[in-house]
Amino acid sequence: MAIEWYLALSALIFVIGAGGVLTRRNPLVLLLCVELMLNAGNLALVAFNRMHGGGDGQIFALMVMVVAACEVVIGLGIIVALYRRHLPIDVDEMRELQG
Amino acid sequence: MNGAAQGASVDWAALSPLLALAGGALVVLMVGLFPGRGVRDRVVPGLALLTLAVTAGLLVWQYDTSTDLLEGALRVDGLTVTLSFVFVVAGMATVVMTWRHLDPVESPGPELYTLLLSSIGGMVVLVAAQDLVTLFLGFELLSIPLYVLCAIQLRRRGSLESGLKYLVVGSVGSATLVYGFALIYGAAGTTGFAGIAEAISGDLSSDVLLLAGLALAIVGFAFKASVAPFHQWTPDVYEGAPTPITAFMATATKAAALGVLLRFLDVALLPAAEAWAPAVAVLAAVTIVVGNVGALGQSSLKRLLAWSGVAQAGYLLAGVVVGTSLGVQATVFYLAVYLLMNMAAFAVIAARERETNLGDSVDALAGLGTSRPWLAWPMTIAMLALAGFPLTAGFIGKFKLIEASVASGYTWVGLMIVIGSMISLAYYLKVIAAMWMREAPAGAAAVAATGPRPALAGASTEAQITAPTRHTRRGTGELTVMAVLFGAATLVVGIVPQPLLDFAAKAGEAFPGLF
Repeated sequence: MAIEWYLALSALIFVIGAGGVLTRRNPLVLLLCVELMLNAGNLALVAFNRMHGGGDGQIFALMVMVVAACEVVIGLGIIVALYRRHLPIDVDEMRELQG
Repeated sequence: MNGAAQGASVDWAALSPLLALAGGALVVLMVGLFPGRGVRDRVVPGLALLTLAVTAGLLVWQYDTSTDLLEGALRVDGLTVTLSFVFVVAGMATVVMTWRHLDPVESPGPELYTLLLSSIGGMVVLVAAQDLVTLFLGFELLSIPLYVLCAIQLRRRGSLESGLKYLVVGSVGSATLVYGFALIYGAAGTTGFAGIAEAISGDLSSDVLLLAGLALAIVGFAFKASVAPFHQWTPDVYEGAPTPITAFMATATKAAALGVLLRFLDVALLPAAEAWAPAVAVLAAVTIVVGNVGALGQSSLKRLLAWSGVAQAGYLLAGVVVGTSLGVQATVFYLAVYLLMNMAAFAVIAARERETNLGDSVDALAGLGTSRPWLAWPMTIAMLALAGFPLTAGFIGKFKLIEASVASGYTWVGLMIVIGSMISLAYYLKVIAAMWMREAPAGAAAVAATGPRPALAGASTEAQITAPTRHTRRGTGELTVMAVLFGAATLVVGIVPQPLLDFAAKAGEAFPGLF
């Protein structure tokens, strides 16, 4: 298959993720959407790696996976801390800081 | 030196500052496991300071190094070394501010210092990176500890909110960056900066993939450097994070984000300069206007400095846009100066947070000129310097940035800097007026007796320096010393700028492709 198909799919996933970040209110879903955006990048990296040969893109994709896992761990940790304080798990309710 | 038995040879000497930071982070974490208050209160912060001092020493040792490391993944040169000094000084100031700042109940122990040191390590990797993969890893190693540091006051709602907001916005920024890097890799076929520059100078400079990747990557960096229109998170996160962490983010993170932009745009993408320079110039202009206008109505000092930081990011971008070694020098000089001015201001804010129950409101500074002149003078100097008043370091910094813009045909960006500075006087002078022309409100001087942590204002600072082990938030002695030091440095650099200019010129020499 031509590279364009992979790119079109990855662009679609990226846009879905970005749209989700902008519209959803639950931080858990926000983290999922960020994962979608990161994995769209991974798909593009692996597809380009296939096109160019060598291993740079695949190694980059592995690194991105590791980092994505770290980000989710921190995010979940903060959400658990919010939950323990019985604070609403909803980003629209987070209005303590504004002005 | 190059004694690795297998694999790539490693230049351990040039790598040593990074190794010191990583090793120090681990040692701090392990030592923090020992029981006892004394360990947690004194040994751990002391070790963190020691690590930073050792790193600074190693940086002095490697001052003239200019070499590729680890198969070209990193590069230790003038830019890396000069900006690493900025990070290390910011880290030291943060350790001093953090000590005794957080509640004993939720005293986070050694983790805070480990996270701080890892974040500084990430910054060093970031500005040294010469490869998209290393750059991304440095970017995340800088960001992920910062998300935790923002949320470290687990019992305070604002802190958690700030951490989550920073995490979500920061992750979106890094996802955009990854996607941009993927497209650049697709267009150039390599992840090394030198290879990308070579591929672009062929026939790629108008390639759609490359331009799209470039745009996405710049957006990703703009999130981190809080460049408008990607700055909305900045005031909220700065306000909610603990004040020492805010100070660290404002100074060190900004230096790292601008430093990596310098290297990424002026090395990897220099052949495509006509594509990105106008776009970045427009971003700079928008950022200057948005930041300065946003700061006008703020009554919280941390929010005010956050908006002012947005505006300053715009000024700094002017030095990136021009793509000359004069521009690099001006940017690095301004980053160093920005560290001095901001640290002085944040030390005063942190001191007033401990002394009054008004938090970081401008009201907390009312009447400071008569009651605490040693805090009022550094704050006054810092505000004047941020506004770019002559005889302060901020003036020289802005002057160099404007000089660099005009010399490269970006006179209109220079004009934007001037206009932005004029607007900014309105809110900086408001702070100064509060200190010198208003009476202290009755409730503020005699401090909050409420809550489990009574604080003491107006007491002799010496008495508290000698009793630092008391686990209260009373003492502000070290903060006063810090504010005076950074304020004095701001003045000295404003009067005798040449040594710091020479220091920043080292960064400019690191770019052989620029003139």
